[in-house]
Amino acid sequence: MKRIVLMALACICSSAALAQGLDDEAAREARWTQLKQAIFPDRAMRDGADVLALEAPARALDAALVPLAITTTSVEPIKTVHLIIDNNPGPLAGRFHFGEAADPSTLKVRMRVNTYTSIHAVAENSAGELFVVEKFVKAAGGCSAPAGNHDPDALAEIGRMKLKLPSGIAFGKPVQAQLMIRHPNFNGMQMNQITRHYTPAHFIKTIDITYEDKNVLRVESDIALSTDPVITFGFVPQAPGHLKVVVHDSKDNRFEQSFEVPQPSVLSMQ
Amino acid sequence: MRYAALLALCAVFPASSGDSTTPVPEPPGFWSGPINSDVPATIAGGKVVHAAEVAKLIDQAHAFVIDVSNLPKRPEGMAADAPWLPLPQEAIPGSAWIPDVGAASISEQLDEFFRAQLHAGTNGDLDHPVVIYCHERCWLSWNAAKRAIGYGFRNVHWFPDGIEGWRAAGFRTETANPRLPSEHP
Repeated sequence: MKRIVLMALACICSSAALAQGLDDEAAREARWTQLKQAIFPDRAMRDGADVLALEAPARALDAALVPLAITTTSVEPIKTVHLIIDNNPGPLAGRFHFGEAADPSTLKVRMRVNTYTSIHAVAENSAGELFVVEKFVKAAGGCSAPAGNHDPDALAEIGRMKLKLPSGIAFGKPVQAQLMIRHPNFNGMQMNQITRHYTPAHFIKTIDITYEDKNVLRVESDIALSTDPVITFGFVPQAPGHLKVVVHDSKDNRFEQSFEVPQPSVLSMQ
Repeated sequence: MRYAALLALCAVFPASSGDSTTPVPEPPGFWSGPINSDVPATIAGGKVVHAAEVAKLIDQAHAFVIDVSNLPKRPEGMAADAPWLPLPQEAIPGSAWIPDVGAASISEQLDEFFRAQLHAGTNGDLDHPVVIYCHERCWLSWNAAKRAIGYGFRNVHWFPDGIEGWRAAGFRTETANPRLPSEHP
C-alpha cells in the first residue's frame, strides 16, 4: 500500500517538475533579459564559448560558499570579467578588472547564492566587446546563512590577509596566487545568533592588487562575496618585488598588506 | 514537564521524518538557531500539512494563508550603480505575505501587527483554519505558527514544504506584496 502511494506521488512529482521546468526556462530567459538591460544597457553580447569558460557546481554543498572558476582563452586581452548571479537580490556579484601585470587566464572566487539560479560570466575585451557564458546552479539560502559559526569573533581579525604563492616562481611567467581576506562580509540578511537581530551590512567594496605599482586586479564587489573571501588570480612578476593588496569596505575601513615575492633561493628551488 | 511533552510527541511520530537522518526535536521556545536548517516533523498545538491538504483547506475552508518569508532589503553602502532587483515574491495564490514575524524575537509593534492581521484574516474566529509557510528547511514558518498558536488560534496548520513543496506538487503561484506595520498602522 505504502509503495503504491509512493509511486503515485513520484509520478505526480515528475510530471509537475517537467511542467515547472519549462516555465522556469522561460522565466530564466526573461530574468536575464531584464538584467542585461540593467547592467549593460543597449550593448551587444555574443556567445562566449571561445573566449571564456565558467565552472560551477551543479548543486552546491554550501550556498554561502559556492566556488566559481572563470578561465579565459581569448586572443584579444580581457579587460574585465563581470559575474552575475541572476536570482540573487543584488545580481551583480562582482566585477574583476585586470591590469597590465595580470594574467587573466584563471580567476576563482567563492560566492553566496540565494536560490536556484543561472550564473552568467561576461568577459569584456579591450575593444569593449562582450562575451557571455552561463551555468545553472542549485543552491538555496546562501544569503541568510550565518557568516561562519563565530559571529562574535568575526570582527576580531578583520582585514588580516594571507597570500599563497606556488613554490617555484619563474620571473616573467604567469604565477597563480591565492589571496585570503578575513572579513565577515555581512550582507544585512543574517541573523545574529545571540542578539537575534539582523547584523547590519558590512562588506568589502573594492580590492586593489598591484605588483610594484603595476595594476594586477581590481575587484568591485558587495554582498555576494562570501565570508572570509578567497580569490585566486594570476599575475606576471618581472622581477622580485612586492604584491600590495588594498581593501576598502562599506564602513570606510581601509586595510592594506604587502607580500614579498622573493628571488627563489637555491634551497627553496628543490 | 517540557521533556515529557517532547517524549510524548516522539512516541506519536516515531518515524515521521523517514528521509532525514536524525529527527529534529521541537525546541521549547522559539527557534533562534540557523533559519535554513532541518526542521521538526511536528508543531505542538498545530497540525503539519502538505501541498494537497493546503489546497483543500483553501478551496473548502477558505483558510487564511500566510507567507512569512523574508523581505530582501537593499543593504546600506552598496555602490549606486549596483542593481537591486529581488525576484518578485511568488506565493500561494491569495497569501498574505507578512515578513519578519518568524524571527525568534520580534518587536512589540510587529507582534501587535501580526496578531491584528490574524484576527482580520480569520474574522476574529479562533477556530478558522490558518496556514503558515515560507520555504523548505526554513524555521521562520515554524516560529510564526508557534506564535499564532500562542495568540490562541486553535486551527493553525504549518506547511513545512514551503513554496518549493507547493510548486513541486504542480500548483501555481501568484506574485505577492509584503504587508508591513508601517503601511498598515
